[in-house]
Amino acid sequence: MIDPHEIVVPTDPDEALAAVVALRRLADHIEREAVHSALHQGWSWSRIAQALGISKQAAHKRLSDVAANHGSA
Amino acid sequence: MFQAIRSKLDNMSTIKRLCERAETYALQDQQREPGAEHFLLAALDLPDGTARLAFEQAGVEPDALRPAIERQYADALRSIGLKADIVAGAPMPANPGVYQTTSSGREIMQELAATRKDHSPLLGAHVVGIVAAMPHGVAARALRALGVDPVVLKSAADAVAEASPIR
Repeated sequence: MIDPHEIVVPTDPDEALAAVVALRRLADHIEREAVHSALHQGWSWSRIAQALGISKQAAHKRLSDVAANHGSA
Repeated sequence: MFQAIRSKLDNMSTIKRLCERAETYALQDQQREPGAEHFLLAALDLPDGTARLAFEQAGVEPDALRPAIERQYADALRSIGLKADIVAGAPMPANPGVYQTTSSGREIMQELAATRKDHSPLLGAHVVGIVAAMPHGVAARALRALGVDPVVLKSAADAVAEASPIR
């Protein structure tokens, strides 16, 4: 378990911003894995979108290729 | 005249190859739009061989770049106390429609366009020179992770481009 209070933001801006970029990439990766898993478990796009807090159109636009991979898997 | 037209066609072919390869690297990296790091990897694949030569002359193994890109992500997460190694998934499918890059990728294309009169023809070393001059971003951090002095790499890239027999 990660305690967010234990996350120390580097004082060097270059290092701190690099961490932001890496976190975004990690979040994108987790999102794709989670959506793949949800589709596999029969979740609809409406449900996935609601869980992600975005519109169904936005979810489909950003992640529809996960559905394609899911279909071909 | 004929030489100028031929050079222009060669450059267009190189740009096309560079962009396609950069996009392939981005998609393998699960990113929709290529950034400077993907253009740098693509430059190393160009058949003129000058990007690889520039790396070698700067004392860097060209094939070490890709692992260094991964490593700088892990290092960045570790700097805030997270340990996470992302296992590469299946490549994303290519974007239908207009070719798009990240802002760092766009910076490279704009610089290549601005300096196009100096490229006869366009070489991988020109791309290396542009990326080496970028002080921030994933590519810059990956080069730092490799222990590369960007000034040395840029000088090597400029020298290789200048001396290239296919100029």
